[in-house]
Amino acid sequence: VSAYDAIAVGETHDFGSYEFTAERIVGFARRFDPQVFHVDAEAAKATPYGGLIASGIHTIALTFRLFLMTGALNAENSLGSPGFDELKWLKPVRPGDTLRAAGEVLELRPSKAGDRGIVRLRYSTYNQKGETVFTVIGNQIVRRRPSGKE
Amino acid sequence: MRSLDDFTAGETIVHGDWPLTAEAIVAFAAEYDPQPFHLDAAAPRTALTGGLVASGWHVAAIFMRMMCDSFLLDSTCMGSPGVDRLQWLKPVRPGDTLVGRTIVVEVRPSRSRPDRGIVRFRHEMANQHGETVMTIDNPILFGRRP
Repeated sequence: VSAYDAIAVGETHDFGSYEFTAERIVGFARRFDPQVFHVDAEAAKATPYGGLIASGIHTIALTFRLFLMTGALNAENSLGSPGFDELKWLKPVRPGDTLRAAGEVLELRPSKAGDRGIVRLRYSTYNQKGETVFTVIGNQIVRRRPSGKE
Repeated sequence: MRSLDDFTAGETIVHGDWPLTAEAIVAFAAEYDPQPFHLDAAAPRTALTGGLVASGWHVAAIFMRMMCDSFLLDSTCMGSPGVDRLQWLKPVRPGDTLVGRTIVVEVRPSRSRPDRGIVRFRHEMANQHGETVMTIDNPILFGRRP
């Protein structure tokens, strides 16, 4: 996804993987989402999740971080994001899970001015068993290549 | 403790204020969203955003914490299936004070599981000027009062 005009609907990208250790799960949740099933492994056993699970906000932030690390979105082409749609937390993420994220280009919406466009991307995040734990449709504003130039 | 039965459609829950420093913006971005306009006030790219701006994920995470402290930790919350839509409407900058509120849109007891139900919320984050910077449409699952 290096430049808007090089992107094609349907193309997919692998973003790599990340291990959710108990320490990382609790470290994030203590700051931003200190619900008992995110911060206390013992007390979490008595909740409907039966143990510690990662905060959903942590899962999104990490998925996006993996996407950034591919370099597809960078200082030259990224113009931010107006938001996202249809975020689904499908399965709990537990300590020791290694998540792998991928993205598929769903739609390209060029701006009227022609200097940028919105890329609609479906992010999917899987655990080591191949189960989808999280999906979301993100919207990224990407700069277009000036016409007639590389 | 708040259960499903304690929410009323139309009700507004006001959360605590959250002053945001440049240091906090950079620390979050270094870990989760390392783009120059979140990390480095002096980077050439940052000039295009008019200075340092907070990661949108950071603003969402702060909202989550506001909601925990305001009512979620003392509730029968059983998690959330997702977010229908999140919109980032305005940049958040160092020195801004974020103000969050949550509006109850709908309270829907489950037909198949009588011990629980879904509350549909509209969450709104504003800055100290009263400008809305982020909105989130989000259902959350709650247990019912025994």
